[in-house]
Amino acid sequence: MLFVRSGTLCGTEEELGEEAMVDLSLDTRHENGHTIIEVSGEIDVYTAPKLRDRISELVADGNYHLIIDLERVDFLDSTGLGVLVGGLKKLRAHDGSMQLICTQDRLLKIFRITQLAKVFAIHESQADALAANGAN
Amino acid sequence: MPVGTPRTQAGISIAIARDPSLVRTVRLVAAAVARRASPSEDLVEEVRLAVGEACAVMVSGLSGVVTEAPDDKVKLQMDIGERLYVSLSCASDGAVSYSTDAIDPWALLRGLTDDLVVTNRDGQTAVAMSWAV
Repeated sequence: MLFVRSGTLCGTEEELGEEAMVDLSLDTRHENGHTIIEVSGEIDVYTAPKLRDRISELVADGNYHLIIDLERVDFLDSTGLGVLVGGLKKLRAHDGSMQLICTQDRLLKIFRITQLAKVFAIHESQADALAANGAN
Repeated sequence: MPVGTPRTQAGISIAIARDPSLVRTVRLVAAAVARRASPSEDLVEEVRLAVGEACAVMVSGLSGVVTEAPDDKVKLQMDIGERLYVSLSCASDGAVSYSTDAIDPWALLRGLTDDLVVTNRDGQTAVAMSWAV
């Protein structure tokens, strides 16, 4: 059976193996008082709960300053936006913050259409986000 | 199809169960069809996003009677003509439900395409969109 990736027929499902099935991965680390989540893959109606759960766990553990790096995100829909908005609300309830890293036009367009570009602090790099939030 | 054979103008249609894990497959098919219609990667990306958004709403965001009937599917139809025509439909009562944190999905769709028509009729919700190619 041929498998489709990013709209292109590119091989058999067997050839693609696990890669074809991986939709979202989250790498978390702590730096200068901030928690950075590097997101890779697609944030959609199926995978967004995974990101929501990670944010909820971090907040429950007392991590109130999150930087979410979207540079390796291939797809973001309104479900994913909802998770980010929900996370921001949780963090603000603890006087926390959420900053986003995003330079991809296709994602920035979604933030602009939904007017969330005015809600989120969106930076071009993790260094910029750390500097903007006064990390030392 | 042998190389050089003219491509058909006939459309494609697929139907999926209301399973969020299948929405990605619909997006990939939509992108592949859009790529046949236009070399513009911007258009391909727009179609992928719009179809994914509409499909996600239908899979999980439409309230109403969801049955286990075999025809309780989300259906996608795409046709390439003077424009790229895309329609999605599913059984519903037409009400869109989403959490207070979520973004109004129709608002996002309206921002993604100039030609969007959402209809609720006879227990079916249908979304029709088109793009110049």
